Amino acid sequence: MIAKAKRADVLAASEDLRRRTLPYTSGSLDRLIYLASMRDYNTGLYVHQGLAARFSPEVACEALADCHQESFQELTSLQLKDLAEQLELYMRSTGTAPGDFVRAWKDLAPYRVAVPVGTDSLLAEFLFSNLKIALAILEQRHSPILEPTPAA
Amino acid sequence: MMELVSFLAVGTGLLVLLLVAMRRQPSHAAGSAGELVTAKRTLESLQVGLLPAELVEQVFGRQDLAYISSIGSNKLTNLFMSERKRLALIWISQIRKQVRALKDFHVSRSRMFTHMSRWREFSIALDFAGLEIRCRVLQFLMQWRGPYAAPDFARRTALTAGRLCSILDQSLAFLTPGIPAQLGSESGADGTTL
Repeated sequence: MIAKAKRADVLAASEDLRRRTLPYTSGSLDRLIYLASMRDYNTGLYVHQGLAARFSPEVACEALADCHQESFQELTSLQLKDLAEQLELYMRSTGTAPGDFVRAWKDLAPYRVAVPVGTDSLLAEFLFSNLKIALAILEQRHSPILEPTPAA
Repeated sequence: MMELVSFLAVGTGLLVLLLVAMRRQPSHAAGSAGELVTAKRTLESLQVGLLPAELVEQVFGRQDLAYISSIGSNKLTNLFMSERKRLALIWISQIRKQVRALKDFHVSRSRMFTHMSRWREFSIALDFAGLEIRCRVLQFLMQWRGPYAAPDFARRTALTAGRLCSILDQSLAFLTPGIPAQLGSESGADGTTL
């Protein structure tokens, strides 16, 4: 019964998060990065002051974890074409210059720390691999010099 | 006299065999709980992580390849092909590893917990051998001709592995408690199912 009541709280908190906060993100990649940034690196627990004040820190933590998992699944189910669009949207939302963004993402690969805990390793590797290709697509799109066509 | 000696020798031999058999029996039971749980996890990891049709389709489907080809950049196409090849090889090597672990478990332990007919045992042994051969062939083809060398063969391999998993799942069914649906859908703070 307690578990059931707690679950209802978590569902309400997740709904609250989906209604009030997540619509302001630019897309599923933005959501993944945002939700991963809510996670404490040392404890692995999610922290959100506003949500914790409305519900409780534990409920907020579970709700954030659920939404994080959801956005990860959403991203892994995308085709490469859509993932490249998501990356483009995310880059624009940050306001960073394309050159700087591509360089930072290539060097730091920040998406590697953005996956939820307990994610299947192959699924995570699949997303990393697709993001690496999407980044190369983005680089090509914003590259001022066109790639020379191979000689026949 | 000779008959008595040979009779005693045979009797002693049988007694020794009986004692050896009695000593071996407890060692099978001891420590098997952990192995059972590990086997169950291996099975789940195969069924949930490696064999879902959606994942197989994403890795071996041609939609992404068509998109990359439409961009018309050799550099991008080469990067895409090498990444997909790497993923496909990880996929097949993980399946091989997990299937081998399940086979070892089945040979050493699982058979003792379930009553299987000889025909069933033989059929499972054939499935394991067939799957091992399929995985090796697929690995060779992917190394040689890339990730799209034999997508249908990869799909069929995943289906065969899935079928074998569900057979083995039945022999480990006693490890799955009858958890009520509401409790089973609870999730922990880190997103894991409770």
